[in-house]
Order: sequence, then C-alpha cells, then structure tokens
Amino acid sequence: MQLRMFKKVSLLLLALTMSAFMALAGCSKESSVGKQSADNPGQGKEENASEADQGFALGEETLEFSFYGHYDWYTMNPWGDDAATAWIKEHKKVNVTPIQSGGNAQQKLSTMIASASLPDVIWMDRGGDVEKLRQAGVLVPFDDWLDKYPNMKKWVGESTINLLRSPDGKIYQFPNWYTTQPNGNSGYVVNKRIYDELGAPKLETFDDLYAYLRMVKDKYGAGVIPYDPGIEGQGIELMVSGFANDFPKTYISMRAVPEGDKLNSLFADPVYRETLQFANKLFRERLITQDALTQTEDHVKEKMYSDRVAVFAASSPTEIAARAHSMVKEKDPTHPGFIMIWPLHKENVDKNKVWPGDWAQLGWNVSVITKNHKNPEAVFAFLDWFTGEEGQRTIFWGPEGLYWEGTNEEGGPNFNDKYFAEPDKVSELMNTTNNFQWNGNTVFIDTRKAAIEMKLPEEKRNWETRWQSEITWKTQFNSTPFINLDPASDSDLGIIKTKVDEIYKETMAKVLFAKSDAEVLSVLDKAEADAQKAGYAKLLDYKTEKWQENLAVIAGK
Amino acid sequence: MIRNIPIAPEGKSKNAGLRKSYFRRLFAQWDIQLMVVPALILIFVFQYIPMYGVLLGFQDYNLFKGFWSSPWVGLKHFEAFFNDTDFNRVIRNTIVISFLKFFIGFPAPILLALMLNEVRKAAFKRVVQTVSYLPHFMSWVIVAGMVSSMLSTDNGSVNMLLQKLKLIDEPISFLSLPEYFWSILVVTDVWKSIGFGSIIYLAAMAGVNPQMYEAAAIDGASKFKQMYLITIPTIMPVIIIFMILAIGNLLSAGFEDILLLANDGIREVSDVIDVYVYRIGIQNQRFSYATAIGLFKAIISVALLTVANLAARKSGNSLW
Amino acid sequence: MNKLTAGDRLMYVVIYASLCVLGFATFYPFWNSAVISFNNGMDTALGGVAFWPREFTLDNYRIVFKDARIVDGFVISVLRTVAGTFLSITSTAIFAYGMSKKELMNKKFYMIVCIITMYFSGGLIPYFLLIRELGMMDTFWVMIVPGMISVWNMIIFRTFFMGLPDGLEESAKIDGCNNWGVLFRIALPLSGPVIATLSLFTAVYHWNDWFAPSIFINNQDLLPIQTKLQQILNSNIMSEQMSQANSGAAAAISRMKSNITTKSLSMATMMVATIPIVTVYPFVQKYFVKGVLIGSLKE
Repeated sequence: MQLRMFKKVSLLLLALTMSAFMALAGCSKESSVGKQSADNPGQGKEENASEADQGFALGEETLEFSFYGHYDWYTMNPWGDDAATAWIKEHKKVNVTPIQSGGNAQQKLSTMIASASLPDVIWMDRGGDVEKLRQAGVLVPFDDWLDKYPNMKKWVGESTINLLRSPDGKIYQFPNWYTTQPNGNSGYVVNKRIYDELGAPKLETFDDLYAYLRMVKDKYGAGVIPYDPGIEGQGIELMVSGFANDFPKTYISMRAVPEGDKLNSLFADPVYRETLQFANKLFRERLITQDALTQTEDHVKEKMYSDRVAVFAASSPTEIAARAHSMVKEKDPTHPGFIMIWPLHKENVDKNKVWPGDWAQLGWNVSVITKNHKNPEAVFAFLDWFTGEEGQRTIFWGPEGLYWEGTNEEGGPNFNDKYFAEPDKVSELMNTTNNFQWNGNTVFIDTRKAAIEMKLPEEKRNWETRWQSEITWKTQFNSTPFINLDPASDSDLGIIKTKVDEIYKETMAKVLFAKSDAEVLSVLDKAEADAQKAGYAKLLDYKTEKWQENLAVIAGK
Repeated sequence: MIRNIPIAPEGKSKNAGLRKSYFRRLFAQWDIQLMVVPALILIFVFQYIPMYGVLLGFQDYNLFKGFWSSPWVGLKHFEAFFNDTDFNRVIRNTIVISFLKFFIGFPAPILLALMLNEVRKAAFKRVVQTVSYLPHFMSWVIVAGMVSSMLSTDNGSVNMLLQKLKLIDEPISFLSLPEYFWSILVVTDVWKSIGFGSIIYLAAMAGVNPQMYEAAAIDGASKFKQMYLITIPTIMPVIIIFMILAIGNLLSAGFEDILLLANDGIREVSDVIDVYVYRIGIQNQRFSYATAIGLFKAIISVALLTVANLAARKSGNSLW
Repeated sequence: MNKLTAGDRLMYVVIYASLCVLGFATFYPFWNSAVISFNNGMDTALGGVAFWPREFTLDNYRIVFKDARIVDGFVISVLRTVAGTFLSITSTAIFAYGMSKKELMNKKFYMIVCIITMYFSGGLIPYFLLIRELGMMDTFWVMIVPGMISVWNMIIFRTFFMGLPDGLEESAKIDGCNNWGVLFRIALPLSGPVIATLSLFTAVYHWNDWFAPSIFINNQDLLPIQTKLQQILNSNIMSEQMSQANSGAAAAISRMKSNITTKSLSMATMMVATIPIVTVYPFVQKYFVKGVLIGSLKE
C-alpha cells in the first residue's frame, strides 16, 4: 500500500516537471508575439493621432496608465487612498497603477526592457538612461501637444524645454521641480552658542575660519567637533567656492574646470589644489572630524542634535540644522541656536562671487511616456494638468474644501482656518502626497509657501526659510549651462567617466590623510596621471562639446 | 522482492551489445533512477535552459536588441578585464580576503559547535545557540551602521575604550585607514555567521553514539581527548564536504559586507571581484562585461573545486 | 564517571567564558535594535540609547502596522515558507537519497550536472524570460517551484544519508522494502537532525527572500511581508530623498514634523520581519538530540 502512495507522489512530481516542459515548448511562439505587441502601440499611436486632434478631454474620458519610479527607494503609494488622489480619481477619471521597483530598480527596468513589457510612464533621472530608451524608439515625443495643452509651455518655459530636447530635436521628458529662480541650501551653519562663548570673532575668510576652529579645539577639546563636513565630505568640497572668484562647487561635481571655451582637468587645477591643501591642513590638525568620509547621516544628526558641532557645512545642511536648532532650544530656552553665515572666502576673493551650491532650471528628474500606452497623448494631458495650477494645488494641499476654499488671481489656494488649526493633519497629508510629486512646479509652490510663511509671527517662521532667503538662495550658482555633460554609462566614454569618478573619490580620501602639503600635491599628480591614462582628455572633449551645445541652446540658437 | 537489486548484465545476452545492457541495467534500477530524474529535470528547466545567458560574455549585449541580434565580440570583455588597471589589486584582494575568511571564518562555527556540544546545562546551551544565530537576521545595512558608529572617532565605543585603557592618545579612524580593514571585515563576518553556520555541525553531532563517550570516560580519556577522538571524527565527513564547497567558493570573497563596510578611500584593500563587477558592470548596465567576469570566476571556481575534490577523495569523502 | 580532571575543568571555564562573551556580543546588537525600535526616533538620534528605551513609544510600530495589507503580506509569507520548505525538503531528500546510492548509474554525471549549476548561471535576464514564458509571472508558485531542488541541500542530505549504517538498509530489504520504502521508513526517520537543520535553512531563505518577488510579482496582493516592509521603509527614505532633491522651500513644508526617523523605523521593520522566523529555531533544536540513531538500531 505504501508503495502505491509512493508511486502517486512520484507521478505527481513527474507530471509537474512534464507540464513545466510543455509550457516551455509552447514558449518560443509566445515570445515572438510579445515582441510584436511591443511594436504595435506605435501603430496604435498613429491611429489615435488623427482622432485626437481636439485633444484629450481630461475628466470626461477615463484614463488608466501604469507608473514606474526608477529608483530603489521609490515605492508609489496606492492611487486613490488619500484625499488628493481620491479626488483626482473621481473628478478627473484618472487611475494610476503602480509598478514597484521593489528596491531593485536597475534590474527591474532591465527585465521590463528585455521582455518588451515597459510601463506606460517611467519616472527617472534625465540623461543617459532616457537617451538609451529614446534611441531604442520606445518613447513618445511631446512636440505635437505642447501647443494643445497649456501648462508645460507656460510653466516649464521655452528655454528649459529646449534644454530638455534630445539629440533628434524632439522633447521626450517632462521635468520635475523645474524652476526659474535660484534655490538650494548649500552653505555653512554655525553654532551660535559656541560662537558667542568665543566672543563672536570675525568669520568671513578661511583664515578667520582656521583661527576660529583652533579656538574651538583649544577651548572645548574632544567634546566639540570644530568642523563637520556632513556625509561624503560635502563640506570639504564646497570650500572650493571660496578660493577663487566664480569657481562654483559645480566644477567639482563635473570633474572639469572651464577655461575660455574649453573644459580642463580638475586634478591639475590650481584652485582645486589649493583648496585641498587647506582641507588637508584642517584635517591633519584634527579640526575636521576624522570620520569625514565614513560617517553616516545618523552620526551627523547625532552630533548636531546634541549640540556638539561648532561649524557644519554640507550641500543641504538646513534640514538637520533646523531640527537641531529647535532641539537645542527646547532643552535650553536661552540657547541662541544655529545661524548660517555668508559663504567663506579667501582673502582678496569677492564675497559676492562665492558659490558653494548650485541650481539648474531643469530641476531634478523627469517623466517619460512609452509607446506601451495606447493613447500617450492622454497621459501627456494628465501630466500637463498635474503640473498646472489645479493639479499642483490639489496634490500639494489636497482637494478644495479640505484646507482651502477658492483661489487667488494666480491660481493659488486661499487657505481656510482648518489649515492653520490642524498643522499635524496638514503635514500628514503632505507627507503622503509628497509621493506623487512627479512634475513639481517649484515657482508656483514656493510663491504660495512664502506667502503663508509671511503670515506667521516671526518666532514661528521656519528656520530654513529664513536662511534660504537671507543667504543660500543668493549664493547658489546657476549651473544650467553645465547640465547633461555625462556620456551614457555603458559607452566607452562612460567607462572613462566611471574611472575618473573613482580616481576622484579615492584621491579625496588620500589627500585628507596625507601627512604634508607635499604629499597632497603628489597624490594629486598621481591622480592626474591615472586619469589621463584612463582617457580623461577624451572625456573632457566630450563634456566641452556638450557644454557648448547647451550654451547655444540657452542663447536661443 | 529481490528483483530490485540490479542484476549483473553479463549472463546470456552478451551478444546483445553494451548499449542494450546499459538500458536494461538502467531499467532494472528504475526505482532509484526515479528518485533523481525528476529533480534533474527541474534543474534542467530552471538552470540549464537559461544558461545560454553565459554567452552574453562574448557579445556586446544590448537590452533592446535582445540576445539574438546583439553583436558577437569574442574575448573582448575578458581582455578588457585582464587589462584593467584595477585587475591586479582586485585579484590580490579577493585572494587575501578569501583566505582570511577561509582560515578564520570556516573553522569558527565548528569551534562554536564543539564548545556547545560540551555544555551540559541544556537551558544555557539553548540560549547561547539561539542568541548566537540572531546576527544572521540583521541586514548588512544595519550591521554596517553599527560597526561604523562603534568605530567612530567621535564617541565610538572602541576608541573610548582604548583611550581609557591608555592604549592610544588620539582616536583612530579605523574605517578610513587601509591597514585595519581586513581585520574589521573578518571579525564582523565571523560574528554575523558563526551561530548560523554552527547549526549544521550541531546536527551532525547528534549522530554521535553516547555510549562511546561513556566508554572513553571509563578508559580515563579527558574531555578534550573525547572531543578529539569521538566528536570530531563523527562530523568529519560534513567538515570535508563543506571544506570542498568552501574552496570552490574562494573567489567569492564577499559582496554586501564589503560594499557596506568599505569606503572609497580604502579601495586599494577592499576591492574584490564581486564588488568590482557590481560597480563597473551592474551599476553601469554593462551586462556583457559583468557576465564575462562572472564566467571567468566560475571557471576558476570549478577548477578549484575539482582539485579540492581530488584531494578529499583520499579521505573517502568527496562530491563525486 | 563524572569526575573531571583539572584539565577538563580548565576547558570548561574557557568554554563557558567564551560562550558568555559570544552570547553577549551576538545578543546585545539585536537587543539594542529592539530598544531603539521602541524609543522615540528623535531621542535616539541624540545617541546613548543602550539597554532600555529612554522615551518609550509605539509610534514606529504604528507606522509599520498602519498599512492593513501588512497582514496579507504576513499570510503570504507564512504560506510561502511552509509550502516552499515542505516541497523543497521532500523533493531534495528524495533526490539526495537516490544520489547517495552506490549502485546509481550515471551518478558521477548527475553530480557534475548539479555542481555546474552552483557556479554557472545564465543571469537574470534569460531567467526572467523563461519564467515569463512558463507563465509563472505574478503567481504564487514562482516563489516555490524554481528553487525547489537545492543542490547545496542535496549534497548535505547525501552526506548524512551516506553516513547511515549499511546494516539498517540491508535488514529493511530483507523485510521486503524496496528503495523507496527504505527511504521513507528507515532513512528519513533517522535523519531528524539534518531534516530539521535543512528545513530551518530553507525556511529562513523563503522567509527572507525579497528579490524574487520584487522581480517576478507585480500584484501587490501576492507580495510577502519582507517586500512590504521594504516598501514601508523606502517610503520614509523617499521623503528624505525628495526633500534633498527639490531643495526649494517646497520640501521643507511637506516634511512631517514627526518623531519617526529612518533609523528607528528600520529597527521596527527589522523586528517585525525577524521575530517570527527567529522563534522557529528553539523548536528545531529539540531534534538535535544525541542518540536518536542508536535508539533505533537497538530496536
């Protein structure tokens, strides 16, 4: 009897494997079908083009599309679960199905490409990957629709649109948090308590800084970190901006320095070299935390929140500083908190030509529409609406009637009492809908936000907002001409770029740990030699070319 | 009933030829073949059918074009890897880290299992067993965060302790200096895997005959001698098999641990094959390059495994 | 009989001492994570939270369990772990027993076929295309069937089976069992420790695996708890990423003034993810009893 049972089990197993085999045998046909259907939407699009001349009437016809955020950390919230998207679902008849990266963005996208099953909308960084998709012919250009739908043209603006154009002259990318105003938080934060206790000395030049950090170290010893550069040595990199007129930190990220109409090597640049010698001096004398290159954001927060940093510099120090500001004040109401100072500079450098951070018109990332969708125009119509006044105020502050009633002449919401009475609920909503900020309209949102801020009494005003308007926004460099200088990552030039980036990072660490000025210079010489060996010159030529193209577009040619 | 025992083929049908007798013999042992063939079919479907992917290493694979339309480039990617300026140090680090992990990380769980085996108090044994396997469940991200805060120069517990003991004057930035990396890596690795790794040896020790210990004790053998003469020989087959497998894995010096514990400044000691593949291949979507290096690694691994297996055959325990 | 020599005593001291040190070293970090998961995130950020929560809160867990679908994820995970472990251990044990037979024909060839798969793999993309063409995308079985046969487990099983005394098998055969009968009536019942161990390993693998679902499953209702927890954690990291990316004022206002930090949340998710599987081990340990084999021999 037992034998019979065993037979049954084994038969079952056999059947299982056999059926797997059968399915396999049928597969080769299916795959070719899959490939065909990948081409089909292209045809479908042409058919649609004629009937869609009047444009897509958002809110009258239903629209469904799938959305994929190409980031490991991005998980789209369910559409329609919060007040804002529920309203859009109901009133605009739009439903969005998420496709999640599952913490695995690169591989997820690769499998979707390889199996010709792309999502309808991909939200991703602009540049190399977008260009690869475009070259493969899976993206839909927006050109025909720019005049039919008002908002992209109005808010993004002609000049930014032109910068977003692909090499074939068409536009495929819908930008996110594009802007026409400077923004950014990069700069130096100073602990006011320590500063006052040391007699509030002049703190404008790097010599002042050095003297100040020495005072901190002498007075407080190991209890206080004189200079904390945040994570990845950001606060060291941004010092470069003070060592020459108009030498923004941007050049470091570019790994290239413009001279005339050509881009030159960073490693050989005298300004950069001088900066690193200064940084090395501070580090050697333990005025910069020795964890500069290994610390995590948690460590930085811990030190800032517990009031143990004298000067904190990073590319976005404001969030941590604002939090630290309120925390130290909570513990000790007499604590003067944290302040920001005007970016430091070397003697003889014009303080109005110091740029520790940068911004670009294009903003952050982009959405692209693939040929996978039957009616890409409808998807565009939605994105266009989303970035406009109605879309922005809905997704940012919820639907009308919740926290606002009616709009002002600029389309901004008029907030009701509930908005001011329930700040926690408001921020909870915002925290949820933050997830859907795919086409953020910086100028529109910032204007509204500044207006609200002005209504608040001084002490309730946001620490960040204050220093942004007083210092950081005035000292951020417009890096728009230098965008998109990077070659595709899997091209030959991309390989060189990866090498140069790695040489850069390794050099940075070696420089900090160098024992003398001479060693700093020799490390830099070696970096230059290694980079040249890897093909740096070719990379610089490519970047120069791209830069010149950008300049031409900006000039309106 | 005895029918199932394979019948010796030489008999009447010698003239039927070897082939026929081969199938007849195969059929005669249908019951044990039935145990392995379905599993082999599953392996064939899920492992061998997609294995054409290794050929990507000889192509310039383009995701959009697919396998059939991507151009063939021969050994281009292998040459690029061998000629890469990082090649020498990647190989050196892989070998050094692997050997450190092999000589320290491999025996550590065995040692733990042997120690646990000597514990008489069942409750204590259970608690230590359970607790020691907890680190296996902590993700490397969390572990790396803990290591870096422990080793921090500011308020890091290790530096504070060393300073209190007057062993150092100024805190040392352990994670930024190349000379400490290998030790940090190996210690963290042992800590994370020792408990989980010891389970299998504990299972093997359950096969020891308790009467043997009693007999040995009567003969006056010390506890240490009993361990040496009874426990270790019992688990030897498992140890040998694991050792063969570990030798085959010598080129896998680590991935997540190194990726998260190392930093750019110490790449000269931390860069190993798998991390290199991730950095240069996967992150830049150079599939063919990554595949070529993977293939190179696999070939060396199989060679190592074969040598280890040959050596182990002398002990009577081998994979094939 | 239980007299200990001085040497033995020294050895015991060394053993107990090292086990205590190891126990602390492996327990404390886990305990500390648990403490942090129950502590106010902002307070944790000040550092110094060690053995006991300083500002106790359940907020971190509240965020984790806010999403009711986490329960579905839990059910999927349990189903997957139980079904996956059972099927994998059964089929691998049968496979391994066959491979342990000396008289198995083509044994060497089979073994080499298996070993090759441990080192050579076609990579994700061909595998993905296969799974898709088998129609296994978005199915529960994609988490179970492809990995059902584990070569590594087979090798271990086989090593243990080969260690079984030959006499047992012979006497069973005389009693009229064929090989399947020997496997189920003699070999498996005697392999308690190795079955327990490999089941534990397999269960841990199934419980922890988030990669396969992230690639092969788009249907949110089929996602196991690990993937769900990852998503919850990510959405917190995301709001940080977003605010860094759009450095304008837009971000500042949208940041929830909460006491939840990524660190405290990640500790809470880790606890939720690991406690169920960690508690399995103590139950497995009872199979590690010495003398199981001997007892049966005497019968």
